[in-house]
Amino acid sequence: MSTYGTPGAGPVAHDPMTLPADDNVDHYTFCVELKGTQWFMQKGKMIAYYGSIEFNGIGHGRLDRLVRTSFHSPLHASDWVVAEGSGKMLLADRAFDVNSYDLEDGNLTIRSGNLLAFQPSLSLKQSIVPGFLTLIGTGKFVAASNGPVVFMEPPIRVDPQALVGWADCPSPCHHYDHGYMTGVMGGLRAMTGLGGASGEEHQFEFVGAGTVLLQSSEALMAEQATGTPPQEPGVPGGGIPGGQGQGAGAPRLPGQLGDLQRRFGL
Amino acid sequence: MFRLQSSKVLAVDMTGDAVKAKNGSMVAYDGEMAFKKLSGGGEGLRGMVTRRLTGEQMTLMEVKGHGTCFFADRASEINLVGLRGETLYVESSNLLVTDGGLRTGTTFTGMRGASQGNGLFTTTIEGHGQAAIMSDGPALLLRVSAQYPLTVDPGAYVAHQGNLRQSFQSGVTFRTLMGEGGGEAFQIRFEGDGVVYVQPSERNTIAGDV
Amino acid sequence: MGFREINSKMIEATVAPGQRLFSQRGAMLAYKGEVGFTPNLRGGQGGVMSMIGRRVANEDTPLMTVEGNGTVLFGHGGHHIQVINLTGDTLYVEADRLLAFEGTLEQGTVFLGSQGGVMGMVRGQVSGQGLFTTSLKGHGAVAVMAHGGVIELPIIPQRPVRVDPQAYVAHHGDVRNRLSTALGWRDMVGRGSGEAFQLELSGSGAVYVQASEEKL
Repeated sequence: MSTYGTPGAGPVAHDPMTLPADDNVDHYTFCVELKGTQWFMQKGKMIAYYGSIEFNGIGHGRLDRLVRTSFHSPLHASDWVVAEGSGKMLLADRAFDVNSYDLEDGNLTIRSGNLLAFQPSLSLKQSIVPGFLTLIGTGKFVAASNGPVVFMEPPIRVDPQALVGWADCPSPCHHYDHGYMTGVMGGLRAMTGLGGASGEEHQFEFVGAGTVLLQSSEALMAEQATGTPPQEPGVPGGGIPGGQGQGAGAPRLPGQLGDLQRRFGL
Repeated sequence: MFRLQSSKVLAVDMTGDAVKAKNGSMVAYDGEMAFKKLSGGGEGLRGMVTRRLTGEQMTLMEVKGHGTCFFADRASEINLVGLRGETLYVESSNLLVTDGGLRTGTTFTGMRGASQGNGLFTTTIEGHGQAAIMSDGPALLLRVSAQYPLTVDPGAYVAHQGNLRQSFQSGVTFRTLMGEGGGEAFQIRFEGDGVVYVQPSERNTIAGDV
Repeated sequence: MGFREINSKMIEATVAPGQRLFSQRGAMLAYKGEVGFTPNLRGGQGGVMSMIGRRVANEDTPLMTVEGNGTVLFGHGGHHIQVINLTGDTLYVEADRLLAFEGTLEQGTVFLGSQGGVMGMVRGQVSGQGLFTTSLKGHGAVAVMAHGGVIELPIIPQRPVRVDPQAYVAHHGDVRNRLSTALGWRDMVGRGSGEAFQLELSGSGAVYVQASEEKL
């Protein structure tokens, strides 16, 4: 019998018997139970595990079939591994809040950097909004957010950097605050190029029925490449690395910062 | 007396006694306090040698006085550990405050260090008293027993207690659709009897990429 | 009116005609309804003098005037937010820690640490520590950001509180402040240790201290 971490002496010591199955241990850690099953997970998110679990990069020959049915985002496959075996595995991400979501024959689109892991019963596809991934089907996935996720209903306008994702509603459109951009700051910026872009002059606008997921942060989590769709007419960002969706020929509005603005996730 | 003012601020009530704290971690105090710089690595010749080796990574100060002193460091979560004669092994950069009466030293942990770059050395804390260790997000205590060995990502390891053996293992094979590298990631496997403190975050590791 | 805390990192403010708010640029996360954001380099009231004050203090964090009819969510960089409701007293807070405040409050700039006489000595040392501070006075709510949340320490007569200038967030009440040096500070100088200089607050009131020595 271990004498360390005995009950009553500070925080609880967990072992495989007391850890939850496919649920949060606390706000920042999620425990996945594997019973000969598989989970897709992003590299670098496993902090510890009990049992015998194997991690294989996507592309491991044996996994071909699984990948073909559940993973439709081949161009960032190098960021993902498949965990399989039996045991309990703890997932976390930079001490951000971690939550699991259950989809029942549903769809949810999420910023790629926020997605930690998902069950293979869901299929993962690239959203046509650059930098976002869509999960479709029935199953559980785990996502991180800077601060707890806040659920809002449309109509709403959102700072692009505070957007975690959206479910069941049409893709967002851009909203520009012309009053702001043509005002003092916009004018200064157009002349000097200083100041950068901020959410007050440009938002994602959601209308219709659905749910919008927000995080309380404007510090983006590291952008995960979602790959580039093939170059073909009618595909936004097709063939252009970095997902530059906006046409190069579009007239630039005053206050718009071109590449900088795009880098800010707009 | 150590108490948590919040999960990220440690309050120490002092009546003439002293504590050892990470340099620069005092955020506020009332009463009268004196601060004195200490060198890491423990006392005596051995301490001197380890100090030389570690490049004084662990710089501690002694705080002594009457009143309440508040400690915090970069918004890290603080975990209190009570020691009754046993030894606590903690990644040097995660030590915030210990009772003045606890002995601190440095041990060489080459295995884990090799994968981390930043932590060739682990601080050992021994004796009777309290220690406050830091983690990025609240640390989880995971029990290790004969029946349940534990595997930990080096970047998430914070501290451990007990009679544990550590070994390195490579747990991952990366082979992607793109045919990119067959890289491997390293993990630490703990066996024996004890507890491991793990944080919900990963320091940058060279090889712990899972 | 006031601010509603949605979680430790997000607040909701209601904007109605005739009730404006000021917020830090970039702090808006989302809004519903018809709300306009106007950049305001002058930063609310205060006029030319306070602008010069801010320029000297390097506290020219641009503020925005928020007007209209709707609700706005504010947050910034994942920092913890503390809402402080003022009922006639004055809050001293560094401008870059101000997330949002109600338009009913009167804004000014003061110089912290000026009552000590050690200023000449420390000015170089503590540069960048933002010892110029914004004051907000009157009735209304203020949302302040802090790295890792704040603790509130009461200041009672005969029991001054000394704070690491880098961890100082704000204070209110009838409080005198001065920069002092800690006992044994010579050992610390050149080590980048915050213990070298301390902000000593005495009188009666409260000081807010964050769980970090990091500037925002």
